[in-house]
Amino acid sequence: MNGINRRAFVRNGSLALLALGIPPAFLRTPLLAETAGRAAARKKTLICIFQRGAVDGLSMVVPHGEAAYYASRRSIAVRRPGGAGGAIDLDGFFGLHPSLRPLHDLYGRKEMSIIHAVGSPSATRSHFDAQDYMESGTPDAKSTRDGWLNRVLTNTSCCGRTLADGSAHAADHAVGQITVGGVAALRGIALGAELPRSLRGAHPALAIADLQKFGVGGGGDSALEETFQRVYRTETNDAVEGAAGDAFEAIRILKAANPLQYAPAAGVSYPGSAFGRSLRQIAQLIKSGVGVEVAFADVGGWDTHQAQGGAEGQLARRLDDLARGIRALYDDLGDRMEDVVLITMSEFGRTVRENGSGGTDHGHANCMMVMGGGVSGGRILGDWPGLEPEQLYDGRDLALTTDFRDVFAEVSSRHLGTADLAKVFPGYKVDTKRFRGFMG
Amino acid sequence: MKRAHRTHRFARPGALIPRRCARVALVAVVSLGALAGARAATAQAPSHSRSPSPEDSAQAIHLLNRATFGARPADIAAVLSEGRIAWLERQLQPDRIQDTAVTAIERRYPYTSVTPQELYRVLEPADGSKGPSPQTVLIQLASARLVRSAASERQLEQMMTDFWFNHFNVFFQKGADRYLVADYERSAIRPHVFGRFEDMLRATARHPAMLFYLDNWRSVHVDSGARRPLAQAQPKRMAAGLNENYARELMELHTLGVDGGYTQRDVVDVARAFTGWSFGPLNAKARSDDAGEFVFRAQLHDRGAKEVLGKELASGRGMEDGDDVLRLLAAHPATAHHIATKLVEYFVSDTPDPALADRLAAVFTKTGGDLRLVTRALFTDSAFYRAEHRRNKVKTPFHLVASTLRMTDAQFVDGRGAMQVLRAMGHVPYMSSDPTGYPATSEDWVNSGAMLARMNYGIDLASGKIAGIRPRSPESREAASATANLDGLTRALLPGVNTDALKRAVIADASSSANVALAPRQRAARAVGLVIGSPEFQRH
Repeated sequence: MNGINRRAFVRNGSLALLALGIPPAFLRTPLLAETAGRAAARKKTLICIFQRGAVDGLSMVVPHGEAAYYASRRSIAVRRPGGAGGAIDLDGFFGLHPSLRPLHDLYGRKEMSIIHAVGSPSATRSHFDAQDYMESGTPDAKSTRDGWLNRVLTNTSCCGRTLADGSAHAADHAVGQITVGGVAALRGIALGAELPRSLRGAHPALAIADLQKFGVGGGGDSALEETFQRVYRTETNDAVEGAAGDAFEAIRILKAANPLQYAPAAGVSYPGSAFGRSLRQIAQLIKSGVGVEVAFADVGGWDTHQAQGGAEGQLARRLDDLARGIRALYDDLGDRMEDVVLITMSEFGRTVRENGSGGTDHGHANCMMVMGGGVSGGRILGDWPGLEPEQLYDGRDLALTTDFRDVFAEVSSRHLGTADLAKVFPGYKVDTKRFRGFMG
Repeated sequence: MKRAHRTHRFARPGALIPRRCARVALVAVVSLGALAGARAATAQAPSHSRSPSPEDSAQAIHLLNRATFGARPADIAAVLSEGRIAWLERQLQPDRIQDTAVTAIERRYPYTSVTPQELYRVLEPADGSKGPSPQTVLIQLASARLVRSAASERQLEQMMTDFWFNHFNVFFQKGADRYLVADYERSAIRPHVFGRFEDMLRATARHPAMLFYLDNWRSVHVDSGARRPLAQAQPKRMAAGLNENYARELMELHTLGVDGGYTQRDVVDVARAFTGWSFGPLNAKARSDDAGEFVFRAQLHDRGAKEVLGKELASGRGMEDGDDVLRLLAAHPATAHHIATKLVEYFVSDTPDPALADRLAAVFTKTGGDLRLVTRALFTDSAFYRAEHRRNKVKTPFHLVASTLRMTDAQFVDGRGAMQVLRAMGHVPYMSSDPTGYPATSEDWVNSGAMLARMNYGIDLASGKIAGIRPRSPESREAASATANLDGLTRALLPGVNTDALKRAVIADASSSANVALAPRQRAARAVGLVIGSPEFQRH
């Protein structure tokens, strides 16, 4: 399937070029040649899913072997495996929430691992601060201006080069000297109207709310786009013109590669939710071979202070959307998942004890799921701190045994090949001995 | 609370209708002088009878580009007529400038002028019913800020409010700050932008919005035995103790600057000095006279001796510990230098000229932090007017939106669409979670996605696709000859800029095969959109 799709791209891509009358300058860039010969130097992609609002990790991956779990949660605990609505057992102690069933056989195929009791060492229980810390990659340091994924792009070799300087590299891309089907701005893509904090910084990155409308004037007005290109070719030619030039280059590449031509693989159906649409477009971008290395999507609705529910209810519905979306993407990408790792994250976990409104409040450590063809899966990683009162953080929350930066560092170095982890996580001493080993 | 359905019409820049230009200029001149004498003098005795030199014009435009949210033809005429100094002096005394736009804004956006406790009661009705959402409040506050920035005659005050609010940033979305931010801007920032720095510093230090935002309200003497401070909306089970957040940002951001020479020990002792600085809770259960007001809780104050920047604070004292720290920091040379450098970065260049910053710091020190005199020194310094400083700043997204509203003839009906635009560009007022506030330099605002957003904003605004903002619909007569009016359009929106290449591109666009069939009105809108989306319009 992999090869078939790639050939289809080359054919359709060529047609698209002819039909759109792409300027000669573009034909000089080696997009097609590189794409066709990409089997040898395949691009790795990391997909980050941010569960904004702090998901209850103890419901996602249930410690059904903990008596304290059931003692603390009278109405919202997910039952022990076996009966109706029970957790799906993974290893005799942990189990998946029943809504995560679509992901269960990825675990069985050893393509998915779970890191539990992971999170930010910051004590904050503010969504804003905690998201900021996780996205900047610098807990408790508010002055960090760029995001960790942006620094990953800056410090990960692209096109066979190690990048000492993001802007010099961007310039290389902008003139089309180096490209594996893409420009610098297409290396980092967020689905959504706004570039998330994680991707902000010196390296170009793009937010795409809707591929269909991406561009100027809603994407359908090529005269307008040409005029703006002309307008931005000024003699001043500083950052303003450079950034615009990069955007035009991205538009051109996307137009030529036409990701929208890729329908989901046979039998794959994405949820109709915003999250499902985001994932579908991420798959289309990856299939079109435009060189996406980091893709980012948000999924919200996790701040379950009231009526959280158990096997069914509010949280179960959100998890259902999450799992069906991820599984659709997984099946849609098929063999391409060999080059893709998908990871979930959320700013903090939730209280072990359920509150008076059938919900949970802001807590501390949480769990992350990581999956992909190259993942050493079928394992639950990390040290389990326990849920007995004296084992809890601040007497109320799941304690932390894995710093989220160790997970991010492992995936960026072992999957994307990020060279300089010290620059990605300033102020943190990355030690490969602390890696949990989900990348083998 | 009812919302008035009135719209606000911005003064026409005379872009496509040159005839209106004269009227706007007249209106501007009349309303600028609050004193009858000044008005008469301005109207009757223009300082120039001949046309101004190109350099005069260029300097007037530069002053307006930096001291206002957009140099309209009428504004340029006013500066050239009365002279830059006289114009500046008037802007430095905003209370003497009649400002009907602002009165209208306060009526239209009532949440900007109610007290924190009133706002609390609106949002959290005592009968348990559901009040309006915080989002409703935010849209009002941000709309008011936007309309005021675009329409106020007190332009320099609006620019300075943007600068100082960012300097002493608080964040709408952090807990109780949603009730407090409006009052904070109204009482702690605006009255002081041309006052003494120390007064503004003290007003922010005592304001509940800051006390809450930087956690000082819950910073208590470690041995005071207090379980937790009395204030509303407190996080559950938060350990009572010293909180250094305010102390650190006070020195790093508000006064000395990050290299201002303080140590961690200073941070701890400053935090100790401010223990007990708190405010009365807003929630109805604890209704009292001090609700939403500054309160010094002596029993939570650390009365031990302290040392801050080498100065001893004797033991056994109370609130005067914090007051002394503020006085000490306001008068510190590092503060003068830090403030001066930030002003130069914001108003002159992303790479501040150290000599200019030094001169401003000297004025700051010599005048005891008189911000009117410091601001005057900034806009009268010859370095400010140097050619390399002209149009070398990139507008922030907020500035871009405010300047388009100011310079085009758009009607601001409501803030829905404007909020979407600002959110997509990451610059909604009051929504910077970071104590540094929003950045002022281009590296933070210029990237490929942001540039596309700016181009699309121009096109969307001009073609009426932004909810709540109605572009002026050009009468067909003018629109028919949109390209003929292109000179007028570019002169109005980009005064003093060589726009030959831009105009050629707009004309080529209008005559391209795809567009020849466009209705005149669409063609005119497209021209306006291209100019707003152009790189030239992103600079000021």
